[in-house]
Amino acid sequence: MIFNSLTFLAFIAFFLPLYFALKGNARLWLSLIASYIFYGWWDWRFLSLIAISTLVDYWLGKSMQAEHDDKKRYKLLITSMVLNLGFLAFFKYFNFFTDSFISVLENFGMHPSVFSLKIILPVGISFYTFQSMSYTIDVYRKDLTAEPNLLKFATFVAFWPQLVAGPIVRASDFLPQFQKDHDFDWDRITTGTGRVLWGFFKKCVVADSLAPFVEQCFAEPNGFASINLLIAVIFYSFQIYCDFSGYSDIAIGFARILGFDFNENFKTPYFSQNFSEFWSRWHISLSSWLRDYLYIPLGGNRNGKFATYKNNMLTMLLGGLWHGANWTFVFWGFLHGIYLIAQRQLGKPFGSVMNGLRFPAWLKTGVNIALTYFFTCLAWIFFRAANFGVATDVIKGIAGLQGFSMVNVMNKFWVIKGFLLIGILLTIEVTNLRMHWNNLAFQRPVFRVVAYATLLLLLAFFGSFGSGAFIYFQF
Amino acid sequence: MKKSYWIFATILLALLADRVGGLLLAKITKDSQFRYSKLYNGEEAADILFVGNSRGLSFYQPYAEEKTGLKTANLSYNGMPISLAVPLVMDYLDRHQPPKVLVMDISLIDSVRMDNKLGYQFNHYSPYSERLSDLLKNKFTNDYFVGMVSHLYRYNSEVFQRTFYYWKKSDKDWLLDRVISLGLVQDVDNQKVLRFNYDKKMVAELAEMVKYAQQKGTRVELVVNPYFPAFIPKIGNLDTLTTDLNAATGLTVKNFENAVTQTDAFGDYQHVNKVGAKLYLDKLMEAGVLETKTGMIQQ
Repeated sequence: MIFNSLTFLAFIAFFLPLYFALKGNARLWLSLIASYIFYGWWDWRFLSLIAISTLVDYWLGKSMQAEHDDKKRYKLLITSMVLNLGFLAFFKYFNFFTDSFISVLENFGMHPSVFSLKIILPVGISFYTFQSMSYTIDVYRKDLTAEPNLLKFATFVAFWPQLVAGPIVRASDFLPQFQKDHDFDWDRITTGTGRVLWGFFKKCVVADSLAPFVEQCFAEPNGFASINLLIAVIFYSFQIYCDFSGYSDIAIGFARILGFDFNENFKTPYFSQNFSEFWSRWHISLSSWLRDYLYIPLGGNRNGKFATYKNNMLTMLLGGLWHGANWTFVFWGFLHGIYLIAQRQLGKPFGSVMNGLRFPAWLKTGVNIALTYFFTCLAWIFFRAANFGVATDVIKGIAGLQGFSMVNVMNKFWVIKGFLLIGILLTIEVTNLRMHWNNLAFQRPVFRVVAYATLLLLLAFFGSFGSGAFIYFQF
Repeated sequence: MKKSYWIFATILLALLADRVGGLLLAKITKDSQFRYSKLYNGEEAADILFVGNSRGLSFYQPYAEEKTGLKTANLSYNGMPISLAVPLVMDYLDRHQPPKVLVMDISLIDSVRMDNKLGYQFNHYSPYSERLSDLLKNKFTNDYFVGMVSHLYRYNSEVFQRTFYYWKKSDKDWLLDRVISLGLVQDVDNQKVLRFNYDKKMVAELAEMVKYAQQKGTRVELVVNPYFPAFIPKIGNLDTLTTDLNAATGLTVKNFENAVTQTDAFGDYQHVNKVGAKLYLDKLMEAGVLETKTGMIQQ
């Protein structure tokens, strides 16, 4: 089930009144069943994967809690890793690795007959797997007490707002919130509704309006003049941001209505002045997961320059692979690894040059933001392209500057609408840094009524509906 | 309970603004110089009526009027499906003196390249046309009813954006005016074969439209607009399509697929640009599809 569908509207109309009418275990059961319906609406067969992950991790968590022998505890942790990563490896990466293996052998003149399977990628598997793994790792590290109540644990793993596209909620943040019933709270309804509407604006109005232009240009880049390809890359940077952060906003908003607090997943990432900052503002729940469960255990930046670079690169490569079973995603991760290393190497000399030029502070900030955005967009080309051929065609097409004129714009109506909506988005996001619109909406009912009505009108006038799922479902 | 008032206030304000906005946009729609606004105002009377999808924009009106001395109207739109072309043409014929000739590019009979959702983009014209209203109700039921709840939603489309764009100016020079990229020219051999996907229903719809125009006294010309020369071998089943249309309408489809040979006369494989449009219109006149005001075929 996707948020931007009539089915979901019916789902929420049944779920919300029942949720607040029930208490205790009855509410937990309702949440669990609703979450399984929410997920099963796409393909009920894959519910078994969630159920198996849940049962095994629940049992392993309890066993680890009871076990005092570190070696045995470690074995239990490895069992959890093998199971969770095994599911992920099979459903997401099996064909990718076999195809890559065959390609390598074919380069050496061999033609192995390796079977391949038609495997359907279960929606959101990367999200709930990482969520479930964070639980067993935290219990192993004794950062978290194992959850004794299977119902609570199962609801934590499958909780519908963030199940299929995040944010990746940590057990240590989320499970304690199940310890008490959350009463109906008007303040939460108010702020949560605002967040949901804002999420729908980002997804249905901005992301889905930009999508058709991007799709056409990336489908056949050779057919488009350079100006179209450049616009497509800019549009894609905002499409993916609004698609993904829009989902997070909707998830955070619904969780808030239901009485739960999720951590922020995006903080205006395109205003970052460097790549460390970018990764502390983009998909925060994944980057912090990778930092805490991969980068730091690898040694982080504690073992000298070379080891730090190696850890940076390894983390980014795996971060890239997490997104999808395609070498373009790995290369996207590789580019971000390079950016982080280059930033460590060149950050200081670059800063000295900028200081030497005696630019005013605002201009320095602007240059840093523009450079970070430029390189982020360069990496997005590989992230979006179906293969390296398409990505290089897009880059060559833009760099070639052939047909770089407004006359050659494919569909000026899409372009005008796209930039208008990006303008609205940026205006609201930039002013929000000072004005905190949601807080204002919360405090002043008149402002809230006007703001929410405006969002509804923007949805009606600009929204694209029925255009399909969120991009991050495939991850 | 007091805390819930804002919800009702929000809905009330949204509905009020929606209705006021709807009225304003309806006024713009009515006043616009866009082809469909003029159609439904009965202000698009012409001697020559052109119909097609984006390829139908090759019927470049300023040049056609200059060469023929006759008034033209063009109902073409990007991705126009036959199911939408039929009500538009019939509405045109009902609201105007029948044109002398209706020229239609038959490539709009193709389910692959047509925009299936284009019909709902004409939602803001549905109050003016029973045929459009029926099409929306039957094919885009959800959109139709959402449009009843929110009037602004009716205007949520590219078609309305164009209606707004042409609010105060004519759309007669609407044409995809660019030159085909070198990349496309070089890549033509790698293109997939273009096949027209159509069914009996689509052919019958077109035949019904032809018959309706003929009953009104309009001569109908079915044509195939030009394709990029090196792309023509990639067209798969044009012969079958023309044979089927000949049989269904009793007319002979006139094939101008190779009427334009200059590379720089194309915007891409399937669309001529302004240079190509002029060359093509000259060919249509030579072939007698278009005539001058005096009825003489211009040489």
